[in-house]
Amino acid sequence: MTASTPISLALALDVYLPVGIVVAMAILFAVFNLIATKLLGPSRSGQTKGITYESGMNPVGTARKRFNVRFYILAMTFLVFDVEIIFLYPWAVGYSQLTPRSPEATLFLGRIMFFLAASVVAYLYAWRKGVFRWE
Amino acid sequence: MTDVVAKLQTLVPEVTLLVGAVLAALLGLSRRKQVRDAVPWVTIATLLAAMVAVPFFNQLDGTTAAGLLMPMLGGTFKLGILAVAVLLCLLTVGLVDRRLEQAFATGRAPFDAMRTIRGEFYAFFLLSITGLSLVCSARDLVWLFLALELTSLPTYIMVALSRGSRRAQEAAVKYFFLGAMASAVFLYGFALLYGATGTLVLTDMRGTFALQASTGGVSNLAVIGMILTVLGLCFKIAAAPMHFYAADVYEGAAAPVTAFLAFVPKAAGMLALMLLLGTMGWSGHSMIVDSIGFRQPIEGLPQPVVTVLWMIATLTMTLGNVGALLQRSVKRMLAYSSIAHSGYMLIGIIAGPTTGLAAVLFYLFAYGIMNTAAFAVLAGLERRGEEIESLDDLAGLRQRHPGMSVVMALAAGSLMGLPPLLGFWGKLYLFIAGVQAGHVPLVVIAAVNSAIAAWYYLRLVGLPILSRPSPQSETIGNGLSVWPRVAGVLGAVGVIVLPLLLRPMFDTAALAVSGYAKADSPTAPAGTLAAKALASESLASEALASEQESAD
Amino acid sequence: MSAALLILLPLVTAIAIAFAPVRLARWIGLAGSIALLAVAAVVAIAFGHWTDGQFGLVASVSAIPEIGMSLSVGADSVSLLLVLLNALLMPLCVAGSFTAISEREREYYGWLLALAGAVNGVFLARDLVLFYVCFEFTLVPMYFLIAIYGGANRDWAAVKFFLYTFTGSLITLVGLVFVAYQYSLVNQGWTFDIPALTDFAANSLTLKQQALVLLALMAGFAVKVPLFPVHTWLPLAHTEAPTAGSVLLAGVLLKLGTYGLYRFAIPMVPDAVVEYAPFIAVLAIVGVVYAALVCWVQEDVKKLIAYSSVSHLGFCVLGLFALNPLGAQGSVLYMINHGLSTGALFLCVGMIYERYHTRDMNELGGLARRMPVWAFFMGFFTMSSVGLPGLNGFVSEFLCLIGAFTATPDAATGYPGVLGPWYGLIAGTGMIAAAMYLLMMVGRVVFGPLREPRGHDSHGHQAGALPPDLSVREIAILVPLAVFCIVLGVLPRPFLTAIEPAVEKTLAAYPMIVEEQVAIHDQAGQPGQPEQPAFAVSLTTPTAPSPVRTLESAVP
Repeated sequence: MTASTPISLALALDVYLPVGIVVAMAILFAVFNLIATKLLGPSRSGQTKGITYESGMNPVGTARKRFNVRFYILAMTFLVFDVEIIFLYPWAVGYSQLTPRSPEATLFLGRIMFFLAASVVAYLYAWRKGVFRWE
Repeated sequence: MTDVVAKLQTLVPEVTLLVGAVLAALLGLSRRKQVRDAVPWVTIATLLAAMVAVPFFNQLDGTTAAGLLMPMLGGTFKLGILAVAVLLCLLTVGLVDRRLEQAFATGRAPFDAMRTIRGEFYAFFLLSITGLSLVCSARDLVWLFLALELTSLPTYIMVALSRGSRRAQEAAVKYFFLGAMASAVFLYGFALLYGATGTLVLTDMRGTFALQASTGGVSNLAVIGMILTVLGLCFKIAAAPMHFYAADVYEGAAAPVTAFLAFVPKAAGMLALMLLLGTMGWSGHSMIVDSIGFRQPIEGLPQPVVTVLWMIATLTMTLGNVGALLQRSVKRMLAYSSIAHSGYMLIGIIAGPTTGLAAVLFYLFAYGIMNTAAFAVLAGLERRGEEIESLDDLAGLRQRHPGMSVVMALAAGSLMGLPPLLGFWGKLYLFIAGVQAGHVPLVVIAAVNSAIAAWYYLRLVGLPILSRPSPQSETIGNGLSVWPRVAGVLGAVGVIVLPLLLRPMFDTAALAVSGYAKADSPTAPAGTLAAKALASESLASEALASEQESAD
Repeated sequence: MSAALLILLPLVTAIAIAFAPVRLARWIGLAGSIALLAVAAVVAIAFGHWTDGQFGLVASVSAIPEIGMSLSVGADSVSLLLVLLNALLMPLCVAGSFTAISEREREYYGWLLALAGAVNGVFLARDLVLFYVCFEFTLVPMYFLIAIYGGANRDWAAVKFFLYTFTGSLITLVGLVFVAYQYSLVNQGWTFDIPALTDFAANSLTLKQQALVLLALMAGFAVKVPLFPVHTWLPLAHTEAPTAGSVLLAGVLLKLGTYGLYRFAIPMVPDAVVEYAPFIAVLAIVGVVYAALVCWVQEDVKKLIAYSSVSHLGFCVLGLFALNPLGAQGSVLYMINHGLSTGALFLCVGMIYERYHTRDMNELGGLARRMPVWAFFMGFFTMSSVGLPGLNGFVSEFLCLIGAFTATPDAATGYPGVLGPWYGLIAGTGMIAAAMYLLMMVGRVVFGPLREPRGHDSHGHQAGALPPDLSVREIAILVPLAVFCIVLGVLPRPFLTAIEPAVEKTLAAYPMIVEEQVAIHDQAGQPGQPEQPAFAVSLTTPTAPSPVRTLESAVP
């Protein structure tokens, strides 16, 4: 049958160069850390050091231990707001490049305001629900 | 900027629903009982407000919705969706948090926001309706997918929230996993469609498919993609072969939520099918008449897609009706009947514009009304706080609940397609559309199926009105809230009275899909092959020009 | 306007009954049905088309122009006669139920009146959708009448009745929509106007299409008539139905089937009818003979009369498919006569049942000694049903048989003859059998030594309500029917002259078929060839002479 509409694959790879550098740096950083701790850090071995949790929690018994549900709720709430904050960075970078008071800028501002309003609603909901109360 | 504002304007009804959802979620957490009790009414007020907003922000001249495949759909069908949603919402009054509220009221437990779920339930209700409403105005595949998921995801949770029993939990999990699988299937279909056309925008896809069709046929990739998409959407409309979940899930959920499941995802699926098949175009535009007088398509939907739809429609009708015959539980029976009704509606989908699609829209609306009325009887009555379920419970209902028995009889009669009730006109419209599109054998199958269906619907008519009360039915009392019964009466009145408004309703249904035919006419003027060839030529030259541009 | 009144008056009365106090229900029902009869009588007297076969009382309101649906009504003489029959039976049914029905009275009389409105709607509809809506809606009241007020096996009887007819008529609907669709292909627009569709279908559909449409039409109407293989719902429904239900079932509801055949099958698909009439006639004859034989062994009086209905309606269909004016006239007249005499018989049986609570012929006998007045009416209506010359049944049965006899290919009627003497002869045995089983029934129940059910102390447990013999009310119910039986028997001429032009109009397409065949043969220039023309199919009688003579004699 007929070929699908050609999608140009001839993309210049140099566009991806910064991404490549970041990835490479991340890998290097991790490898460096691993090697550095091995070389520099003091290392002792023994029975206590060999157990799973150095903090002293004994891992004997069932692994299906139930944690209080509040941990999860709080963790989730943290995650949600944390991830939302991340969105603000690219927005701020983009916004700084727009002409002030131009329609595009206003629209850009409007969008993030809506986003923040949604976050506030989520916050209000969580607050009323009693997520932040620990009793 | 103004472009965005104009686009946002068409979404005012959806934004209204969204704001309502936020309000419902927050108000449901209030410490004051009156405020919590007001949540269903806030929901209904939101639905009504959105209904009022529709004609203002979805103009029917298509200007506000330019670039959509079916530009008139939003301004018309949303009204029907919202009207049924109001009925559905009345059904749910007094459903969620019943035990908890009693405990709060009697002081057995202090108020605990963590445990209340009423606000969340109505928020999800409104979000699901928002999704359905967004499907109407879908411009591209991404929008369509998100809208479909927005419709479905809240329903999974609503099933679990609807009652505290384990069956509801089981149903919700089952529904969720199967739903996720179906979503994956149609998402894969979307991907293939994108691969075949290189665009996500529905109108552009239509142009590409027209081009492909005129130069040797739609690509195989697109055909496979479309079939996968259709199969995935079968889950939403509860059609074979993705119908197995329906009986279990419908039975597990509380009756009001079951009524919701039988309408909202089904409507979303049907609308999505209309939009997606619309990209390939139906066969309705150039036809030849064969020796028996059936019109045969020259081109249009690829034959494999039509064959698959045919098989789905036939299987769905037959399995649904035969399955319903075997049930002892009213809810399971209505679940199977819901499957069968999807099969009837698929006739309209196969028949295509304008009559077929208009018939589907009309039938969806009619089905929403009559099905809600039937479920209202189950939702409005109870035995010691438990829902009534089996057919024996309905026996002799007339003795103690004459009103509800009449509602059940009218709803079942309408579902059966008995003239002059609403369901009959829907069926007639579908039959006309099917015959008009040349699918007479399919219509005959549907007629035979309707006759099979009469058998079990007659039980729903006969048991409440004619039988002696059974020992089980003696203990049935009215539900806590009067509103589900009010919804039932409203639905029953609608089943009788709405046929008087047949003409405006048919007009509106035809108007809703007329935009598609209009948009279609420049590329494929009704009839002659020459005109069609000309149109595709101009398309081809356009494509050529754009290629040159990109080369430059 | 007046036609609309005939449909709406009973419906409005039905609604009024539903909201009236219970003790007034029967009186409102009676008043409404008498008003209906009065309106029908006035309309009939004022009707201007008794002799020209045209439609009168025409009124039309556009309903849904997109699909060409309108609310249009009208009546020719045949429709109006059937409306009159319905209007006549209705007050009798209402009055006949006063003592029999003691619970849920509002619903009962409401459904009776609703049924009357729907039946009138069927007879008066000039729009296909309106026709179909009314046709299907008749099921609902009847379903409830049987299922609420019926005998021991009423649930199953009602369901079977409903499902049989509902299934058939859904297929009919598809067929009729198909015709309307074909019309829209040619005429660029939809219509459901019955005359327009009839003209179109008769002239424009190919034989294959017509055959499909005929099949679809038969699916619905044959069940309703009922023809032989699909008749099994009828005896059950009749046995279980309350008296008034039986009367209306036999009196008017079965006529919906024959009326449907008369109004749709015959004029709409003439080519297919000519082709397949012998098959249908064979089914009708099998029904006549088979049902007559079944009657012979019945012990239940009501079941016997029910089976006799199957047998009698076979004559009606046979006359219709003789495809000549004589047979069709007989058939239409038969519809009315059967309604009168069988309706009256069911009333008589109902009166017995109210007193003895049994209809078993082994337990009842010699009732003439106990109830001489009742015995007179029973005997009278039996004679009418048997077809005693001088009473109504004779005229129509005779015409139907004559129609079948003369429907040979060589008869100089100008109509295509596809049946023949053999058909008439075999069907005639049904007449003889009818005389035997009905008279045997009368002999056992009415005459001979008195035999009453054991434990019956000559009063029954409704001693206060019912006298041993007929009350004045019951006599008043039966007398009008008896009068009409005599009038139709002695003076059938005015009725036949009224029916004739309408029937000829319905059969208008058939002489043309003959002419076409003649023309084809003339053009072919081989008049001597013993070639079989299309309409003389293989089932024609073996004694029929060469069809060529048909053609020669058909040329004026």
